[in-house]
Amino acid sequence: MQLQTAFFVLAITHASCHLAQANPAALRINGSTTVNLPVAEAAEILRSEAQLAITIDTQGGSSGGVSLLGDGRIDIGMSSKPLSQTDRSRFPKISFHETRIGEDAVALIVSKDVWNGGVRSLSKLQAQGIYERRITNWSQLKGPNRRVAFFNKEPGRGTWEIFARWLYGDPNEAPAAAFPEVGGNEECRNRVGATRGAMSQLSASWADGKTVFALGIEVEPGQTVRPTPEALADHSYPMSRPLLLLTDGEPKGNTKRFVDFMLGPKGQQLVAKHGYLSLEQLGRLRSSPSGRGSN
Amino acid sequence: MRKLLDLTFRAAAVLCALLACLIFGWIVSAIVWRGFSVVNWRFLTEPMRLAGAEGGIFHNLIGTLILLSTALIVTTPLSVGTALVTAFYIQSERWRRLCLLCLYVLNGVPSLLFGLFGFIVFVSFFGWGKSWLTGGILLGFMILPTVSVALVERLRSLPPLRMEAAAGLGLSRSRIVWFVLLPQCLGGWVSGSFLGLARAAGETAPILFTATIFAGASIPSGIKENPVLTLPYHIFILAQDSFDQAIGGKVWGTALVLLMLAFCMSLVVLPVRLRIHEEADHV
Amino acid sequence: MTGIRALETESVQAQKLARRVSLTQWTSWVLCLIALTSLAALVLVLIHESWPVWRVAGIDYLAGKQWLSSRHLFGAAPMIYGTMAVAIIALGCAAPIGIGAAICTSELLPRRARLTVKILVELLAGVPSVVYGLLGVLVLRGWVYDLLEPLDPLSGDTLLTGGLLVGVMILPTILTLSDDALRGVPASLRAAARGLGLNARETICRVVLPQAIPGIIAAILLALGRALGEMIAVFLVVGRQDNQWPERLWSVTPLISPGQTLASKLGGSEIHIAHGDPLHWAAMVGLGLLLLGMAGGAAAAAFLLQQKQLRHAQAS
Repeated sequence: MQLQTAFFVLAITHASCHLAQANPAALRINGSTTVNLPVAEAAEILRSEAQLAITIDTQGGSSGGVSLLGDGRIDIGMSSKPLSQTDRSRFPKISFHETRIGEDAVALIVSKDVWNGGVRSLSKLQAQGIYERRITNWSQLKGPNRRVAFFNKEPGRGTWEIFARWLYGDPNEAPAAAFPEVGGNEECRNRVGATRGAMSQLSASWADGKTVFALGIEVEPGQTVRPTPEALADHSYPMSRPLLLLTDGEPKGNTKRFVDFMLGPKGQQLVAKHGYLSLEQLGRLRSSPSGRGSN
Repeated sequence: MRKLLDLTFRAAAVLCALLACLIFGWIVSAIVWRGFSVVNWRFLTEPMRLAGAEGGIFHNLIGTLILLSTALIVTTPLSVGTALVTAFYIQSERWRRLCLLCLYVLNGVPSLLFGLFGFIVFVSFFGWGKSWLTGGILLGFMILPTVSVALVERLRSLPPLRMEAAAGLGLSRSRIVWFVLLPQCLGGWVSGSFLGLARAAGETAPILFTATIFAGASIPSGIKENPVLTLPYHIFILAQDSFDQAIGGKVWGTALVLLMLAFCMSLVVLPVRLRIHEEADHV
Repeated sequence: MTGIRALETESVQAQKLARRVSLTQWTSWVLCLIALTSLAALVLVLIHESWPVWRVAGIDYLAGKQWLSSRHLFGAAPMIYGTMAVAIIALGCAAPIGIGAAICTSELLPRRARLTVKILVELLAGVPSVVYGLLGVLVLRGWVYDLLEPLDPLSGDTLLTGGLLVGVMILPTILTLSDDALRGVPASLRAAARGLGLNARETICRVVLPQAIPGIIAAILLALGRALGEMIAVFLVVGRQDNQWPERLWSVTPLISPGQTLASKLGGSEIHIAHGDPLHWAAMVGLGLLLLGMAGGAAAAAFLLQQKQLRHAQAS
């Protein structure tokens, strides 16, 4: 009996030693939920067509992509914001390499009652006022008499960083504000859509115009820019952002295969399908001079 | 007056019980009503496509089952050993109580902290990355107190006569353990394990940072960097990030499958659990 | 002569064999030690990882009302408040209903009806927390928002929403364990009380409940432990707003405002930003240590109470 037990233990140890090898083939991707949509579909295609093993996760949004790549625990980080100097200095051992696969806008979204109440655009100063709690009622902005329920994207999310960069130049300069936080894009849309007097920041392609509405931005008195493809292309809309794939150094091997796929026609089609601007659209709009998207 | 008070009291108590049943009924019907139309054979056997909008939850189901069986394999020897020591080998009453206290505190540890611990130790320190094994081990330790306490209770309730008879036959203590005690507490093991597994099946917090990802994993082929897809994480992610209406139905369908999985495991142990409680009946 | 000697050696061998620790016993001890050391390892790892924040911030970490990670200001008090608020609201809802239902199942209902209720409750205990979270997001949040309309809450994500959701989650724990405690009271006491002419309410309130009260408190403490540590469901409905320290501790307004609990903070994306910054990371892990202290304390207290009652029952 004791012999049997000993043998059993031995067998388990042996089996576990046999199993204790890494899975070298899998390409690990993590990061922004915004970039995730086209990437996840591309991964599905590559998995079935090229037998590539690709794992995808969206933990922590863009900051998760950066920090996990910095720790060497993923191969490609998805990010919906350009890398900042802080990001790079946090992980000195990694030489971050950015590959842009598309362009997106961060929209200021409001709930239906605010939109119908007449608030259609905000200036930078007004947005600052809301973020610093000087503007707490929509009536201060000629809207309905209702308190402003501002939902903030979690710090570290790409969307928030773009928003903070627009308002304050540098996310680190943003005042410490405590608002209810939302994480994923659907969570954000769901909250804003279900709350009266609500406002938040969200990827423009998720602003469906049914439950949540994208505000225009008043860049100068009387001149409002809406997050249209044209306004994105010529940078007249202030909160545009690249959709990035981050790698440690130039992409190599399977990583390169994946990045190339995203840059190729099929990958770019997926980018466009999810409402983002593909590189080709961006180039075409930039080259045509008449693409000013103001109204 | 006295009678009225009595009546009110009874009515209030019955109302409370009714409310508990109603809440249960509402939860189940809310899930079934929204998820029923999605769940069919193909939903269970097809892998996920288009980030959850199409296809089924095959790999999520498999991943959850992998985690649960690993947890069972991890927890069984540990809990049997713990139970034997606590109920049988320890001679001093004080030490026995200390052991039980540890088990109770372990039972009270929030599941999230197992995840944090697993992230620090397995993911970072051992460098396993996200791995199904980490998840299994963490879930195993999480349900260990449930299984151990069930076993201890079973062992303590065995009539001492049986032990004495076995000793009288000249069996050594080890043989008594293997041939008398362990077979007798099989029921305790089953009820404890499945009760624990029913709880573990729906846990997201311990595996969030350690074992599970959103897409792309299938059957693990090693330990390091071999995550699995799971049902609860699928729901957790899609609740925050489903980008189109079609996913809504899939989320409820997944919730229904998870609920049924947990119910099946609870139902397995129901007779044993009820018997234990009814045995303490005052007649 | 040789025969006697052989007999002697045999008995000596038998004695030695009895004294030698068998492989089974040895393995059991090792396994038990592994199981129990895991608890110690958990505590030690959390203490070790959170050490920097205790050294730098000291008591301010517990008492500080501001958590501003960009300025390395770490005060956990608002999260401790949020955690307690959610747990107390949860207990406030679940304890009366749970105990009332337990009285009903153990004292009033006939056997068949009691079994039905108990089966339903056993199943209810198995509903995964993420399913509660889903229902919370898509249903409960809207209800709370509409219900509180007269009080003009900013949104449906409030500490109250989290508390209500957790209340439903811990209801089965309270019900089952209270039921056990009530049924542990000897039937002879009930019979005697009824014999003296007391009616059902008087029997229960004056005879049965006083006997069962330690067990019921233990049930509440165990449920409290679960309520404190619940993450997924709370995460989805509590609003996750930092630095919500109430101006007046007992006022209602903070409860219908969004807040943050220890567990919901740990579940968010901040843990990814913290990773790589030693002090920030230590502050995050420190929240886990606080949570462990609170939940572990509740579990230990529950155990000691149960043991006390057990000894009491044995003595009487």
